[in-house]
Amino acid sequence: MSQPVTIIMIEDDEGHARLIERNIRRSGVNNEIIPFTSGTAALNYLFGDDGQATHNKHRALLVLLDLNLPDASGIDILRKIKENDHLKTTPVVVLTTTDDAHEIKRCYELGCNVYITKPVNYESFANAIRQLGLFFSVIQVPEAST
Amino acid sequence: MTTEAARRRAFFQITLLSLAFLVLVVIAVASFYWLQKAREDSAWVAHTLEVQNQISLAQLQMRRAESAERGYVLLRQEDFAQECIEASEQVLPLLDKLKGLVADNSVQRPLIDEVLQRSESRLGLFKRVIDLARQDRTDDARALIRDSGGRESMARIRDMMDQMRTEEERLFRYRTSEADRSQSLATIVTTIGSAVVLLLAGMSIFLVRTSAKARDVAEAQLRENNLNLESTVETRTADLREANEEIQRFAYIVSHDLRSPLVNIMGFTSELEELRGDIFRRIATLSREVADKQNAQNADSDGEAELEAPDKQLSEDFTEALGFIKSSIGKMDRLISAILNLTREGRREFQPVPIDTRELIENIVSTVAHQAAEAEAQIRIEPLPEIVSDRLALEQIFSNLIDNALKYLRHGVPGDITIRGRQKLGFVIFEIADNGRGIDPKDHQRIFDLFRRAGTQDRPGQGIGLAHVRALVRRLGGTMSVSSALGQGSTFTITLPARWSGAKGNSRV
Repeated sequence: MSQPVTIIMIEDDEGHARLIERNIRRSGVNNEIIPFTSGTAALNYLFGDDGQATHNKHRALLVLLDLNLPDASGIDILRKIKENDHLKTTPVVVLTTTDDAHEIKRCYELGCNVYITKPVNYESFANAIRQLGLFFSVIQVPEAST
Repeated sequence: MTTEAARRRAFFQITLLSLAFLVLVVIAVASFYWLQKAREDSAWVAHTLEVQNQISLAQLQMRRAESAERGYVLLRQEDFAQECIEASEQVLPLLDKLKGLVADNSVQRPLIDEVLQRSESRLGLFKRVIDLARQDRTDDARALIRDSGGRESMARIRDMMDQMRTEEERLFRYRTSEADRSQSLATIVTTIGSAVVLLLAGMSIFLVRTSAKARDVAEAQLRENNLNLESTVETRTADLREANEEIQRFAYIVSHDLRSPLVNIMGFTSELEELRGDIFRRIATLSREVADKQNAQNADSDGEAELEAPDKQLSEDFTEALGFIKSSIGKMDRLISAILNLTREGRREFQPVPIDTRELIENIVSTVAHQAAEAEAQIRIEPLPEIVSDRLALEQIFSNLIDNALKYLRHGVPGDITIRGRQKLGFVIFEIADNGRGIDPKDHQRIFDLFRRAGTQDRPGQGIGLAHVRALVRRLGGTMSVSSALGQGSTFTITLPARWSGAKGNSRV
């Protein structure tokens, strides 16, 4: 890896954000985590001023995405990321409360890499996040193509 | 128009028509009577005329006989004698006929009798005069004419005949006026009757037209109401559908949004639990350090830090509180999941397919075979009719009911669960009967409500199964009921259309 992966966490619920971050850290992942509580802010960061994400061209990113956002649909964000030339190789982990089979199918169709349902059972939740941490440590995030 | 008014109107119409009919009958009878009367009167008038005529004829023949007699006596011509005899012969039959005609009249009867008598003698006299004249005893004949009082007799006969004529004239006047009266009465009755009939007919026509108008108005109103009703029903149906969809959307969103904070509550409760461990470990370590400092001389204790009794109590309280929170969260999560599943079921489109019910139930029974063996229960499947319905829905219905039957058996009694089915009037009736603990009749309604359960709560469950089953049965166009008493087992009866088309159920209303 030429540069460390930056984790972009798009999650409107601060409690969830905290729990996710804490569990990621517990699993020994120390990558930088940039949290966003709204879809708009996250999109601004990802796509930049020109809306083409040219500034993120060479960065290794990983997106943690909640589907139920107050200002934008997580599905839309997912579609935008996967349609952008510079970001489409970025792994997207959908992490949400929705366990509707229909929704899950749609996310995978749009190119989401991992879909995790937030279980209320904390042990499972923590477990899922830690496994995600393991996943982070082994995945090779490709350099964005030019 | 109220029904009372309508009834009154109908009654009035019928009365009016009956009245008109009655008047018609009366008029007919009266007309007939008066016409008959007029005819009779006319007949009497004619009778009178005939009597008069007869009188005149008789008188005429009498006169003819008399003048012929005189002529013969004067001129001795045989044809006078012939005429006299001929005329004389006609008189009596005429008078006899007259007598017959006036036989009913008490005034005329004595008169005619006398006339007859006198005429006979007079006629006899004629005969004698003629006979005398024939024997050439002209003088005797003249004397007989002169002395026999023939002229007085003739005058008398004339007088009496005049009397009779006068009487008949009186009768004629009386009878003519009578006939006139009858005729005019008949005319009056007919005219008045016709007028009344016309009036009644007019009223009837008016009434009929009024009610026809009222009926037209009512018909138009009815048509309009029908149209309104249809559109109202359509609107309501659309409203209901919308409301139903709204509720499902609402339930879906709410259950999702409830889950989000629940994740936090659970997450941070677990975090607190870890913190609790950290905190009490620290307290233990600290208190031990304090104790060590105080009792430095006998510092022989080692190993894990032990909590002192009050601290231990605190720790346990902490654990207990967290335990309640966690179990409540678990329960809440299960409820939310159940609502989610229900809404998900509500959204699913049903597909009617022909189903071999026996095979379907056998499959379900094989999946619960393990539970059945544990509960020492046997499940018997009697011959079942086939059905066209949604397969998944039927599976859920039967597996829920069989599950329940297995779940709520009586302790120490081997379970006996029977599934029966029969066909009736386009419906298929299934019965799932068990010999389990039964359900108190006062809970029969309650058990079908969401999140409600009955009896001893010694089994896991959220109180969703039966509510779900009933919702499914309703969507399949059927009904379900339960008959049961405590300790007597339960029988759930499901009635489903044998050939469900899916038209109604998929509207989700």
